[in-house]
Amino acid sequence: MEHLRKYVWGVLISAALVHFAIIYAVPNVLMNVAISRLSEMGLNRWQVAPRVTEQSRQIVRPSPDFSYSACTYDLARGPLVISAAPWREYWSLSLYAGNSDNFFVIDDREAHYGAEITLVQRGRPHPEGASMVVESPSARGIALIRRLAPTPEEYSAAAQVAREDVCASVASLSATDS
Amino acid sequence: MIGVVLGAASAWGALEIGRTNFAEQYGAWHFNRAAGSTAAGPYSRAIIARDGLLALSAREAMYFTLFADDQGRPLSESCIYELTGRDLDARWWSVTLYADDSFLAQNNDRAHSVDASRISYSADGYWRARVSPVKGDAANWISSRAARREFSLTLRVYNPQRDFRPSEQTLPRLTTLSCAGGG
Repeated sequence: MEHLRKYVWGVLISAALVHFAIIYAVPNVLMNVAISRLSEMGLNRWQVAPRVTEQSRQIVRPSPDFSYSACTYDLARGPLVISAAPWREYWSLSLYAGNSDNFFVIDDREAHYGAEITLVQRGRPHPEGASMVVESPSARGIALIRRLAPTPEEYSAAAQVAREDVCASVASLSATDS
Repeated sequence: MIGVVLGAASAWGALEIGRTNFAEQYGAWHFNRAAGSTAAGPYSRAIIARDGLLALSAREAMYFTLFADDQGRPLSESCIYELTGRDLDARWWSVTLYADDSFLAQNNDRAHSVDASRISYSADGYWRARVSPVKGDAANWISSRAARREFSLTLRVYNPQRDFRPSEQTLPRLTTLSCAGGG
């Protein structure tokens, strides 16, 4: 009887541990999958997604009414400069941490002429002279620009504008400037 | 081993049940206020990551999802529905159909959504969108062709006005017009 009781307790405790481990792991695992899918061309650079169609299967529930640009970032080697060029309709720049939290968003109501931020890992020093510093809770994450573009013509125009977006390390930009 | 299976099954069950039970409900629409929030609890975060990864926080956009018709039956390609609504107190909105795998239905009708910038209104001030496998004479159409069973509709409300209050009255209403086989 004592043996059975210990067995039942063992099963319940291990079930609870596995249950909570999965609940806590799901967002991080899914973000890792998303980062891997969106970084085929490399980290720390914008990739303009093709127009969303029934063939778009990288991220769940894509909106066919937006032009998306994604920059999967890694701050291990230092801060990044991220900028979004303005668009004539709604646009926003949003940042997602490694656990999927949307920890920052700025849109055209606040940044009428485009946005430029310096992204730093939380706890790391801020680059000297950086104007708008945003701290990321994790080293890796995803920056996403949405531009409202419901028609093929608007998508083409938005994709053109997206070429002006920047996602690059502060060090590389400083080297270019010097 | 039994503990691992039990733990995995209960976690899966919590995520499955939680997408409707952990959400606010307005009519048949479900809304998770914690989407994208840094203050989300572990269950909400996991549910949103699975069903709507890279969602914006509610200050920027609100996402309402409808999984069943006005009678509580799962949405099906074999039925014809009508979605009726008024303009919403927000900068922009859209309604998009997703198959049960959370991706766009595998059809090339280019009618996966209707949105505020393109929708036609009736003379009474309402817009009406047909959700069906074929367009017919619908002024606004969301194609459910190849969506099979248990598809869902997501209403995105971008830049909601400060006094925007979701309610059964303000959100669009789905009505089942007919189902193949009379179901």
